[in-house]
Amino acid sequence: MKEGFARRAIAVTLAVGMGVALAGCGSGAASSGGGAVSGADYTGPDVTISFWNGWTGGAAPVLVPKLVEKFNAEHPNIVVKNVPMEWGDISKKMPLAIKAGKGPDVAVAHGDDVATYAAQGLLLEADAIIDDLGYTADDFPEGLMDAGAYSGSQYGIPWSVTPLGLYVNNDVLKSAGIDPAVVPTDKDGYMAALETLKAAGIQGEWVDGYVFTGTFEFQSLLWQFGGDLYNDDVTKATFNSEAGVQALTHMTDLVDQGYSPANVAQDGNIKGLLSGQTAYNWNGVWQTTNEAFDALDWTAAAVPQIGTEKAVWSSSTHWMFMNNKGQDANKTSAAATFVKWMNENSSGWAETGELPAANDVRNDPALVEAYPNLATFIDELPYAHYETSAPGIAAANALITTALNEALTGKKTPTAALDDAAKQADAILAQNEAKYGD
Amino acid sequence: MTSLAPLPTAPVASVSPTGRRVSAGGSGPRRRTWTAYAFLAPFLVLFLTFVIGPAVFGLWISVTDWSPYKSEQSFIGLQNYVDLVTPGSVFFGDFWQSLGATGIFTLASVPFLLIIPLGVALLLNQRIAGGTAFRAIFFAPYVLGVAVIGVIWKYMLDTQSGMLNHLLGLIGLPTDIPWTVDVPWAWVSLVGVTVWWTLGFNAVILLAGLKGINTDLYEAASLDGAGAIRKFWSVTLPGLRPVMLFVSTTTILASANMFGQSYILTKGGPANQTRTAIMYISDQGLSQNNMAAAAAMSYVLFAFLAIISVINFRLQRDKP
Repeated sequence: MKEGFARRAIAVTLAVGMGVALAGCGSGAASSGGGAVSGADYTGPDVTISFWNGWTGGAAPVLVPKLVEKFNAEHPNIVVKNVPMEWGDISKKMPLAIKAGKGPDVAVAHGDDVATYAAQGLLLEADAIIDDLGYTADDFPEGLMDAGAYSGSQYGIPWSVTPLGLYVNNDVLKSAGIDPAVVPTDKDGYMAALETLKAAGIQGEWVDGYVFTGTFEFQSLLWQFGGDLYNDDVTKATFNSEAGVQALTHMTDLVDQGYSPANVAQDGNIKGLLSGQTAYNWNGVWQTTNEAFDALDWTAAAVPQIGTEKAVWSSSTHWMFMNNKGQDANKTSAAATFVKWMNENSSGWAETGELPAANDVRNDPALVEAYPNLATFIDELPYAHYETSAPGIAAANALITTALNEALTGKKTPTAALDDAAKQADAILAQNEAKYGD
Repeated sequence: MTSLAPLPTAPVASVSPTGRRVSAGGSGPRRRTWTAYAFLAPFLVLFLTFVIGPAVFGLWISVTDWSPYKSEQSFIGLQNYVDLVTPGSVFFGDFWQSLGATGIFTLASVPFLLIIPLGVALLLNQRIAGGTAFRAIFFAPYVLGVAVIGVIWKYMLDTQSGMLNHLLGLIGLPTDIPWTVDVPWAWVSLVGVTVWWTLGFNAVILLAGLKGINTDLYEAASLDGAGAIRKFWSVTLPGLRPVMLFVSTTTILASANMFGQSYILTKGGPANQTRTAIMYISDQGLSQNNMAAAAAMSYVLFAFLAIISVINFRLQRDKP
């Protein structure tokens, strides 16, 4: 607690300090920014650029300063200031800071935030920068570039991806007489394993109705049954489609048929897996760095295919170039150099439990050798689905969790819960359109 | 705002100094006034900057279509307030549900937060061994932040692996009570955790009030033949009146502003049933950037709390 507060306090102090410094030297430049970026290293006058990110936990607070230090040492004309703070604080501070010309020059955000920032005019269109840096969509997993695009323009350059996977407690499987080497990949295999576990008195997968496991499992299943969250132009929720009902019914069935206990609290399932009470948990790749697993015989596998096609939920993070009032084009160019260098040197990022987005870094055999647990997550990427890119989408997504929670606590049937949520999501999408406009 | 209730200081001795000061006359009082203002100024500056200023700004926002994404905001009169009472608007259902949740929590928690601390204070007021230690023990949870108590209780209240359900199992009670996942248990948890967390504060204030009651009154009551119960109703409770007014007012306001416990323990669930007004307003204003609507909601909540506080003051005022 205290440490977190201190870190935040330092981050805020830094941010304020940087803001003052930027205001001091940036007020003269009237450039609209974003021009004159080339794939070669920045060669202009000395600049100091500010870099905001939400990497306050896990391995990142050690890793990022090291990377930044190395970058600064290799680039005598660029000084990058690393400003970590909570993700939530970033989204609260960014609009005012950018409009006052005191925001960062470069920042990282989750896929579902990029469009929200872009719609507010906080971001520079990055198409030209991406061309100059020599990036194409083929440099990243399929569909990932689109997760950083909004309204026909590219605003984000991919940095990391975090798909869901199936975490398995091997000791629990063995106690039920199941060979842990045989990992279920389809519905029949998965349900058979759950049935065997049930016969041994173990509820094999604990289903919860909260963000992280429940919500992301539902989205994976929705895509597996051929559905989607929203229509193409994100004006209407479609998660209450037949596929959505099938997905949610699969989850409520697990409870009704006794494969899962009822009323699992948030994170109750990962706790249950770690304490040997349950065998399977659908969870994000970030759990591979959870030290509680060290004492466990466990494996991570691809999520089983319950529906008619392979699909899995994944989040992603993206680099963004900020459109500060009076943004200095030199700083943006220097930021582009920084982004390219970071992506090229991102192999160590696996340490944080996230997959580097750049294909040639991620597909380097050395990476899986160093982090063998990541292999199955990397193999999932060809069929991963990323977060919807639309401004204010998080507010609509929150209703999915509400629907799940209602269905899993027996307040509503899956159909009714999803229909009600979709109706309200439609109202929020309409509100978003009015709010963010075009 | 309404915490301006009289603090339990001994009122007896204050008469004569005041009288003397008034009769002193001359140029003294004026200078003394300025001294007072000078000492008040630092607080006043902070109060104006961080309370009155934002409050007035919030009132302005609530009558505009204020959005952080537009460079100019236009005046739209009471439209934001009209939306809140128009069935079918985006906010209507959720806002009134959240106000309802706040109401349930306040009604369920305030009686416990008054009666239990009063009992604790009466016990601590006895001359018992280790009284100071007990006072510290009862007060201890209050010094913890809501994030700390939230996380601790989240572990203890977990449906499957929580300590509470395990203990219930040991004495033969059901072991699958969804303490944080389903109602009514979620309310029981929220009220219970809040009472455990904050009862020490009320108990200490009430204890101070008990110590301020003149022992002569108890003696006189004893001489008149009053028993322990009669003394409680006729001496203790009336003697606590000003302190009770303070405690009940601050407790009602604190309960009506409950946020952290729901946010951490129940995530507002099941569905949105334990999402309180403050939780919904902060989500709308800070996360979803519906500042204008959120400001209007805040003022509606403020109006409710102001009315309740006034009623509370009226009910407990000394009758002439």
